Amino acid sequence: MAGAFKGCQKIRGPQIRNLLDAKDFILLDCDGVIWHGEKAITGAAKVVNSLIRHGKNVVFVTNNCTRPRENYVHKFCRLGFTDVILEQIFSSSYCSALYLRDVVKIRGQVFVMGCDGLRRELDEAGIPCVEEADDPDATIYDCALAPDVKAVLVGHDDKMTFLKLAKASCYLRDPDCLFLATDNDPWHPLSSGRILPGSGSLIAALEVSSGRKATVIGKPSRFMFECISSQFSGVDPAQCLMIGDRLETDMLFGSNCGLDTMLTLTGVSQIEKAQEYRNSELTTNHSLVPDYVVDTIADFLPAFEELGEPSN
Amino acid sequence: MSGSKCARLSAALAKQVLDSVDSAVPGAPQVINLLKENGKKVFFVTNNSTKTRKMYVDKLSVLGFNAKEDEVFGTAYCSAMYLKTVCKLEGKVYLIGSNAMREEMEAVGLQQTGVGPDHVLGKQTDWANVPLDPEVKAVVVGFDEHFSYMKLNRAMQYLTQPGCLFVGTNRDTRLPLEGGKAVPGTGCLLQAVETAAQRQAQTVGKPNHFMFDCVASQFGVDPDRCLMVGDRLDTDIMLGSNCGLKTLLTLTGVSTVADAEAHQKSGCAERQGMVPDYYVESIAELLPALQG
Repeated sequence: MAGAFKGCQKIRGPQIRNLLDAKDFILLDCDGVIWHGEKAITGAAKVVNSLIRHGKNVVFVTNNCTRPRENYVHKFCRLGFTDVILEQIFSSSYCSALYLRDVVKIRGQVFVMGCDGLRRELDEAGIPCVEEADDPDATIYDCALAPDVKAVLVGHDDKMTFLKLAKASCYLRDPDCLFLATDNDPWHPLSSGRILPGSGSLIAALEVSSGRKATVIGKPSRFMFECISSQFSGVDPAQCLMIGDRLETDMLFGSNCGLDTMLTLTGVSQIEKAQEYRNSELTTNHSLVPDYVVDTIADFLPAFEELGEPSN
Repeated sequence: MSGSKCARLSAALAKQVLDSVDSAVPGAPQVINLLKENGKKVFFVTNNSTKTRKMYVDKLSVLGFNAKEDEVFGTAYCSAMYLKTVCKLEGKVYLIGSNAMREEMEAVGLQQTGVGPDHVLGKQTDWANVPLDPEVKAVVVGFDEHFSYMKLNRAMQYLTQPGCLFVGTNRDTRLPLEGGKAVPGTGCLLQAVETAAQRQAQTVGKPNHFMFDCVASQFGVDPDRCLMVGDRLDTDIMLGSNCGLKTLLTLTGVSTVADAEAHQKSGCAERQGMVPDYYVESIAELLPALQG
């Protein structure tokens, strides 16, 4: 646990090795940390496989809610991360399903604005979802609303329409209907360097129409860490290192959960932004400052070379 | 209620504010028509962006109001005027909005692209590479029932270009419907685009003073001799306060006297602008003063 406020410490080889000696749990974001789109970051697969072989608990914590976990396993395999199994993957869609099933214990339907990946996670958890069956000519003035909707869950929805926003707004007029978000990221980066509107932009629209604030499941909220912790029968935050590329989600998440944090510079956030937050007069901004910084996850490789491969 | 604010009205000049109901508030046409007969100038000032001035005049006529096109100020017309006269825009507009907005823009010589449905095509990697019209120099957001992820995406892609202007018609949050339904307002669509693009739009509609500037510049109106009549504290009354007009709240719409009192008692300086000078149950209460 970082003591006096320092932050943004660039570390290499031996320092990384010392850090790894002190940590049993490595939490990794995916986009911008271990891969960009369909391309693994150079050295990332070797680092992840080495961490696992050296006996570290490695889990992947991603706000990306567009695919179910099975698809993630295939992607990991495809990109060379051969030792990764389903139980290591925590996506915001999977955790949203857990939240509805285990925390809310939802009785009634969920109105979902999101991708097929999100719906599949909900189906697998046995969460009833309102069927999307809009007549192309339907409008909010003449469409039927489903009865017994007890939650509106919003994620990345590239099929978002005005009608869906209107329906969600109607359901949210019931104060007993929950307002949940897989994540609040305003935009997502693509591998090309371009960006896409994120879940946060849809959440913003509904917060305006409903006058309500969404409960965010994904980073930086603590809930995904609680999912991880319950699955591993308790995890000591002091034993954890959170590695991510986005200050406002990954670093804040780590901070909220009492974890040490590391920013890798292969993704969204730049070192200058981290320094800006560190120098900010607003103490709340200090929670976005990483404890450690690496240029790329591949900077871990020399630490393993010194250790050598573990004996079987 | 004590003090000079929020007093029960006895007599005044009036301007009527349109809302989206399809029937006139009882007595309203007579009030407007009598005001005009008494030599008062009456202007209709609305945040609704879905009608041109001509469409408003047609609607007003059907409901029994005598109105002329140049007396109507909707955000479709005012956005076009804002782009032309304030922004002095040269270039096209990417428009999330109605046909009415398109018409008002074309009427001042501004070209637009984007109105109407914009269907989803292609895999995810195609989204960021949507073809962008190089002539687009502004993104404008108004009410659009065809709003979709693709439109949100296009708007965001344009807004990441340097020098691209960003204008919204208004921030109204929702339009109430019967049967427990609600339609998200332009404010929702605008907030979605602002969040994705991480930029704030300049809004044209109430409570921004531009709409009053539009009226004043065309008709030589003296703020001291004006009364703003409306049903929403955060748009109508706020506009009146921002422009130094007297304000009259009518209770046939969104805001209540309790809302006004809450602002008055808040002790917050910004919120005092939402406290009307006067209120009436309905615009029809002005009839006796006009007929007598």
